Amino acid sequence: MLILQIVSLEPAHGYGIAQRLEQISKAIVQVNQGSLYPALHRLEQKGWLKAEWKESETGREAKFYALTASGRKQLVTEKDSWARLAGAVQLIFSEGDQ
Amino acid sequence: MIRHVTNWFRRRKLESGLDRELRYHLDRRISDLEKSGVPAAVARRQALMELGGVSQVQEKIRDVWLSRWLRDLTYDFRFSARSFLKTPSFTITAVLSLVLGIGATTAIYSLVDQVLLHALPVREPERLVLIDWKGDQVASAHGSWNLMSYPICRDLDKKKDFFDGVFCRALTDVNLSTGSDSRPEMVEIVSGNYFEVLGVAPALGQVIEQDDDRVPNSNPVAVLSYDFWQTQFGGALDVVGRKVLVNRHPLTVIGVAASTFKGVDVGEVPSLWIPASMSSQAIPGFNDLLLDRRNRWMQVFGRLNRGMTLEKAQAGLQPWFKAMLQEDTHLASFPVITPERRQAFLSSSLVLAAAPQGHAPLRRQLLQPLWMLFAVTAVLLGLACLNVSGLFLARGSARDREIATRLALGASPWRIGRQFLADSLLIALFGGLLGIAAAPIVVRTLVAFVPRASAPTALHAGIDLRLLGFAFVVSVAAGLLSGLAPAWQAGRRSVAQSLRERGGTAFSGVRLRKIIVTAQIALTLTLVVGAALFLRSLDALMAKGPGFTTSGLISFGVDSLLSGYSPAEGNRLMRRIDEAIRESSVTQSSAIVRWPFLTGGSWSDPMTILADKRLTTDRDVNLNTVTPEFFQTMGVHIIEGRNFDERDVHEPGVEGWRSAIVNEAFVKRYLRGRSPLGMLVCEGAGPDDNPDVVVVGVMSNFSYRGLREESEQVFFPFFEGDGASGTFYVKVHGKPESFVPSLRAIVHGVDPTLAMTDFRTVSEQVDRSLNTEHLLATLSGSFGTLALVLSLVGLYGVMSFVVTQRTREIGIRLALGATRWSAIRLVLRDASAMIFLGIGIGLLLVSVLGRLVQAQLYDVKSFDPTAIVITVLILCSAGVGAALIPAHRASGVSPTEALRVE
Repeated sequence: MLILQIVSLEPAHGYGIAQRLEQISKAIVQVNQGSLYPALHRLEQKGWLKAEWKESETGREAKFYALTASGRKQLVTEKDSWARLAGAVQLIFSEGDQ
Repeated sequence: MIRHVTNWFRRRKLESGLDRELRYHLDRRISDLEKSGVPAAVARRQALMELGGVSQVQEKIRDVWLSRWLRDLTYDFRFSARSFLKTPSFTITAVLSLVLGIGATTAIYSLVDQVLLHALPVREPERLVLIDWKGDQVASAHGSWNLMSYPICRDLDKKKDFFDGVFCRALTDVNLSTGSDSRPEMVEIVSGNYFEVLGVAPALGQVIEQDDDRVPNSNPVAVLSYDFWQTQFGGALDVVGRKVLVNRHPLTVIGVAASTFKGVDVGEVPSLWIPASMSSQAIPGFNDLLLDRRNRWMQVFGRLNRGMTLEKAQAGLQPWFKAMLQEDTHLASFPVITPERRQAFLSSSLVLAAAPQGHAPLRRQLLQPLWMLFAVTAVLLGLACLNVSGLFLARGSARDREIATRLALGASPWRIGRQFLADSLLIALFGGLLGIAAAPIVVRTLVAFVPRASAPTALHAGIDLRLLGFAFVVSVAAGLLSGLAPAWQAGRRSVAQSLRERGGTAFSGVRLRKIIVTAQIALTLTLVVGAALFLRSLDALMAKGPGFTTSGLISFGVDSLLSGYSPAEGNRLMRRIDEAIRESSVTQSSAIVRWPFLTGGSWSDPMTILADKRLTTDRDVNLNTVTPEFFQTMGVHIIEGRNFDERDVHEPGVEGWRSAIVNEAFVKRYLRGRSPLGMLVCEGAGPDDNPDVVVVGVMSNFSYRGLREESEQVFFPFFEGDGASGTFYVKVHGKPESFVPSLRAIVHGVDPTLAMTDFRTVSEQVDRSLNTEHLLATLSGSFGTLALVLSLVGLYGVMSFVVTQRTREIGIRLALGATRWSAIRLVLRDASAMIFLGIGIGLLLVSVLGRLVQAQLYDVKSFDPTAIVITVLILCSAGVGAALIPAHRASGVSPTEALRVE
């Protein structure tokens, strides 16, 4: 979901995604770079991402991942279900506080 | 899944892409780290560590592309292929075994599919049903099976509650002329809704429609079959509107039927279709066919309404049907019959049968033999699989080292077993490929055996998608089957065990192989016994013969009615031809009979006999009319009484026969051996049938319909009947085939436009009538031989393996003073245990399965002692022979050599 979210903002290449993940999540979520690429390929395989070779900011060719239509749909459903889960957890916590 | 497969094909591109992608990542990371002040060498190491190793990531991603098992499978296959190429002789043996099995099974399946399983190429064939009358129709019959009258079909077509439509059809031979010459062709006479109900479209022009079948004799139109259009008209586009002559009646071609459609009978392909309204032109001599409710000559098919089931329709139709029966008995045209017969008529019912494959007497004839052969090839395939299993087991023990090493390196037993399955699958798929290539040749040979003249046109030897699918499934099954034992064997080894054993001593492998060989011998026994039974049946039938001379005889048919003659003119024409042939110098003697012999068909009816009291026959008697020369020409003896002669000629204006000759079987069954001379008989068994024909002679028994049958026969003089069409049997001096042109010339000397049908020597006809038996005997014989070879190879293989393994033991025995004979005995004891156990199991199988083939046998019991003793002897001697070679090698073991090897 995180990857989908990052890519949904703009197409990015693997290294860029890795950097963004590090920036966003800071020290809270540790994402192993080793599992980033298999994950990207799995998402591509499922048809949620499409990849394209483009010139990167350094002038070299890099593989850019972009969200597909079905990927966008997937992102929405995942966000929804996450929101529901988070909401439910929140509810339980606030119950406990009262 | 599909993605996985496509990924496999573009894996090179994927790999290079991944390479670039990861390199880009590393380079960026290193340069970023360097920018932040990390030294170059450290930066590289840190980048790699963060990523967790390039090859690890690559591996993980490859799993994403192909999924684990698929990748392993491709590795397994590649490994298998490489190891097969290294051992070509092993590979060839294994592949050949499977080619035999798969090729034979596929070829037989091709026939099974075409004759028994294939649905008609029409719209929704699963909704088609054959409608049949169960009970006594009190009607005369013309044709093969499931016959009903045309008016009943029209009645049924009105039952729209049940049927979309009901059509009827009948096959007949006509004299067809498209230009100058004329020749016999098969025509399908169909009701006007035939094409519409079937849902067959024209390839050109239009098909027969309802309007073409409203008024008798008024719609002279015809639709050509696609093949006929191609061969006779060269596919000419202007064929529509041309005229063809059917029995000298001009019909206008209105179209060509779709290319895939070949009528509703697999075995008989019509050249053209004509509407039932023109049936009196197609079948001269029968005029009331369209109105007579008591003349059954057509098969009736219905297309059930959508959602209507066969059972519901059958039950729903009965009330109407019963009412119709009652109504029929009140018609003026209804014949006078006995009360019992009337009862039988009224208790008739309509029976519906699913007919997605149409109507095929060929299927009825070949149903049992084909399934039987299919079972035989399945057994043969099983044998081939077992053989390959044995080969793999042997190879498995040779590969002990490799496997032990792999196990020691941490491969799971399942992984090793899978390698073996991949091995056998690869072999089987390759075998299947070759089998498919061989199948058409086999099918073409098989089609020659099919006992029907039109079979070669109706059955094809091509490969279609169904066949490919079948061969693929069979190959995979064969692969799994033959890989199962070796895989299991390899999979259950433990590392410790493998390492403890020295190279090439896998004893449990031998036990498994012995079980396999025993099973092979058991299966072989059943196949060889089967072959022996069929051979003995064929032999018995050949020895019995048809009961008449076959050498030097040639026959051909002439139907003057099909050439436009009236019955009286036809009778005179036949007399003229008969005289011309008998006067010719090529002829030794010549006769005409009304209905030809050994075709499977006959003219038959029950009869009334007036002995001291009146009695009727309890079953149909086979009838025929013959000229007086018949007995001399065919070598049929007149045992008692006299031949037909001028005393049998009736006075002008009188109808019917005055005299008859009956056969011995007739005398035996109905008169218990009393002399029938002077008794009166007649055709028919009704109360008003008047016996007025005098029996003047008794003839020896001979086969009328086919060689298996023994029937009661009564013959009448030919020219005193209609005598306008018949089959000539001509006895010539020399080879009968070479007289075809001169006989043709003689007949054409009388009438140059007359069509002659079916020039055939009588010995060929005898052979043809035994085609099914020939087919069974030849094929089961060759399959039995193959099976024998396969299991002998298996036996030989396992025994030589045992000898190699026990070389040391035998060497020690010999060194301790055992004789060479005892070494031979040692090996033979092992082999005979397998042989006898196999034979025992095989005999058990024979006694169980034997009953299934009984119907195909003649004069032989399914548990025939001779066949079984011969088979057992063959198996024993061949088996011992195969074991003797390794046994001999065992006896030649030199003690010192054997011990030094260790």
